[in-house]
Amino acid sequence: MTAPVNIKGNRSKFDPQKLLEMTWSKVRELLPPAIAILIFLVVWQLFTNSPDSNLPSPIRVVEDTWELIIDPFFDHGGIDKGLFWQIWTSLQRVALGFSLAAIIGIGLGILIGTNKMMYSALDPIFQVLRTVPPLAWLPISLAGFQQANPSAIFVIFITAIWPIIINTTEGVLQIPQDYNNVSRVLRLDRKTYFFKILFPSTVPYIFTGLKIGIGLSWLAIIAAEMLIGGVGIGFFIWDSWNSSRVSDIILAVIYVGIVGLLLDKFITFLGSLVVAEDKSS
Amino acid sequence: MSIFAEVDHVNRVFVLPDGGEYIALSNIELKIRKGEFISLVGHSGCGKSTLLNLIAGLDKPTQGGIILEGRQVTEPGPDRMVVFQNYSLLPWLTVRENIALAVDSAMKSLPNGERRGIIEHHIDLVGLRHAADKRPAHLSGGMKQRVAIARALAIRPKLLLLDEPFGALDALTRGGLQEQLMRICQESQVTCVMVTHDVDEALLLSDRVVLMTNGPAAYVGQILDVPIPRPRDRMSVIKHPSYYTLRSEVVYFLNQQRRAKRQKARQTVAVARNGLEKVNLDLGFIPLTDCAPLVVAKERGFFEKQGLTEVNLRREPSWKAIESGVRNKRLDGAMMVAGMPLGMTLGFNGKPPVPVVTGITLSRNGNAITFHRRFLDAGVRNLADFKGYIAANPDQKPILGIVHPTSMHNLMLRYWLASAGIDPDRDVNLMVIPPAQMVANLKSGGIDGYCVGEPWNSRAVNEGLGFVMATDLDIWPGHCEKMMGVREDWATAYPQTHLALVKALLEACDYCDDPRNREDVAALLSRSEYVGADPADIRPGLVDAYATGLGEPQDLPRFNQFAFDKTNCPDRTEALWMMTQMARWGIIPFPRNWIEVLDRVRKMEVFSAAAQAVGMMDLGRDRGPIKMFDGTVFNPDDPVQYLQGLSIRQEIDVREVSLDSSRPRVDTPAA
Repeated sequence: MTAPVNIKGNRSKFDPQKLLEMTWSKVRELLPPAIAILIFLVVWQLFTNSPDSNLPSPIRVVEDTWELIIDPFFDHGGIDKGLFWQIWTSLQRVALGFSLAAIIGIGLGILIGTNKMMYSALDPIFQVLRTVPPLAWLPISLAGFQQANPSAIFVIFITAIWPIIINTTEGVLQIPQDYNNVSRVLRLDRKTYFFKILFPSTVPYIFTGLKIGIGLSWLAIIAAEMLIGGVGIGFFIWDSWNSSRVSDIILAVIYVGIVGLLLDKFITFLGSLVVAEDKSS
Repeated sequence: MSIFAEVDHVNRVFVLPDGGEYIALSNIELKIRKGEFISLVGHSGCGKSTLLNLIAGLDKPTQGGIILEGRQVTEPGPDRMVVFQNYSLLPWLTVRENIALAVDSAMKSLPNGERRGIIEHHIDLVGLRHAADKRPAHLSGGMKQRVAIARALAIRPKLLLLDEPFGALDALTRGGLQEQLMRICQESQVTCVMVTHDVDEALLLSDRVVLMTNGPAAYVGQILDVPIPRPRDRMSVIKHPSYYTLRSEVVYFLNQQRRAKRQKARQTVAVARNGLEKVNLDLGFIPLTDCAPLVVAKERGFFEKQGLTEVNLRREPSWKAIESGVRNKRLDGAMMVAGMPLGMTLGFNGKPPVPVVTGITLSRNGNAITFHRRFLDAGVRNLADFKGYIAANPDQKPILGIVHPTSMHNLMLRYWLASAGIDPDRDVNLMVIPPAQMVANLKSGGIDGYCVGEPWNSRAVNEGLGFVMATDLDIWPGHCEKMMGVREDWATAYPQTHLALVKALLEACDYCDDPRNREDVAALLSRSEYVGADPADIRPGLVDAYATGLGEPQDLPRFNQFAFDKTNCPDRTEALWMMTQMARWGIIPFPRNWIEVLDRVRKMEVFSAAAQAVGMMDLGRDRGPIKMFDGTVFNPDDPVQYLQGLSIRQEIDVREVSLDSSRPRVDTPAA
């Protein structure tokens, strides 16, 4: 009767060896990208080492922008604000424009997906409009709104809405025939059909659209802000260029990249909350 | 019971993208009674699911209509709930929510509490209490199907439609679910239509099995009643006497459909060669000892010698398959039971007549009558004992197996019974069962005895399962048993081929009856592509002494007769005897123009020409009366008077039978 003792031993939660193994495997995972970044920085440093180089070396960048890095929250009034506030302003614009795009895009997508007539009428228009580059909308929106901020938001909106509409429509069209048969046999009313069948089965497609949309809006906002001026990470870059602060530009670009990545992760996370459990039928 | 739902002459035509049409269903008619369980069986692509969708209202017929309780079905509705093939549960809802969705929308009028009650009841009904809050992704296939069934039953449909409900499940789960479904259907008295391709499932669950032909233009080929009493369980169904017959009927239908499909793909063209019109022949045979002449002709080169270089022997499952194969031209010719050419020509049992001719008798004798051993234990050793047994047990009618209505087995068994005063239509039940399934049926208790050719009597004797009460040497020694039959239009189109075929078979028969060759014949027959039975079952009577299970084995040199004593002549007198017997039992009308019929069916001129060509002289049989074991003499000059003199018989229909039926023949599948 030694078996139970053994089992207890095996079940013990604390297992230093296992912990060590897990840490090691995590480290091993992170090691290749860390080495790659290191090599990149070294190469960059080597190429820009000479004093008459046009671009600053990574060490120069850190030296030049040290104030911006350690204090992203300063606010000296006007457009002279810390990088956090610059990014925050841009994010607000994106949030507003993107939310509008999501609400209207999903609504239109479902309408078009469920209505053959609407689909055949509107789909060609959308196919043309979605290929228009975001900045091409800027003059039109400036002409329409006469103000910088709404114009920027409109550019975000118009950039993000196409992938959302197109993917939602696709999602509605792809509802499995079986589910539709179930609803026909049960004679589900429109409301029940929408909430129990149409919406849940379209959600994965909607999130694909949202993910593409958020990426595009972040691309668009930088470009739009460069042209519009005022507070915002886009204009900060443009302003730095005008003032020949190349190190600031490099820092801002790194921040833009990181924020873009985080936005994408955020939508993926939201999607996983809704979709993960429903995977596979 | 009244008609509950009706599929009324429905056609369904799909328009193809290229503008063409595909006729999926053609003139489907089906009446469904209340509380009935119906299975739709057919090969994949035959339109079973299309028909189910039409009944559900998910699809609309191109012509005709579906009527449920007097009202035409125009759209789907919860009164015709479907259990879909792939469950169709909503993956984002739990088991309870899936059922609730159906109940809440189909039973809006009920108060909330009552609906909850129905939902919980049905969760329990399919035994899913422990999984009620799980999502489908966390359920096994069998559990998902149970949810789908619970969802369907919960809304109390008038008609439950199941589309291959257990197709994707493993055998164990399937078995359990079938019994569960059967119990639930029984309890809730729901009318069901199920699509399946599983024959056993169909027989287990259904009251009627609807067999559908292949598409395009599929139609209802045959409807089988399953007379097995309810409540059923798997064992009682398998043990029911009609189970094997029904099963083989369904399997036969499906095989025939498959062959038809294959035949459509490969339309055979006559290959003319060696001075013959057609050397590529498909000849049907049944795995029996007396298929020896065909096997020998093929294996020992007699076909080749006569120029028939591409003969294929097609092993058929039953005499019915032989009959329909020759009828619908799948086979060029076949070994037939002796009465079959006459029966087909005269349209036996109301079938459309097809003139069939024969130029050679392939064998004589070779049959026996076997009874289950328990009769021996009950003291039944001979016919007289059997008569006494029937009189003593009036409530249990013995069931005896025969192989085909037109076979010598049927005619001789009936004659033998009647000679003892047993009416074969009243005192016993005769059941048609393919030869190879006799022993299995005897074993399962489906039948009490049978009359069949070898090796199926010896098999029962060797297994200790039965004993032989009589061989045909005891009844009519030297009777005509198997013949080579071909359609008359075939013989007319290929006269030289027919002659070559008869010549080859004559020589093969001669080979079979040389005692030196018997070992070789037995070895050939044992091969799996021919009879494939244990040599111990094939040898008795053919090579070795014949054992009846009563006393010592006896030497019966004439048990299988292939050439000896003018075997091969397609004698007309015995054919006349067969016609009188078939008329006696109501299988055919007795033709007043019997001389013409005999002349047409029994091709003496082909036989004589063949015999002369291969140098076998003096094979003609003497025309004379036939003496039977009971002392009666059959006078070939006055068959009608003979018929009328018989005491046990059915109403005899004597009339002129026209052999050149001008009406167009419809090639229907055997109905």
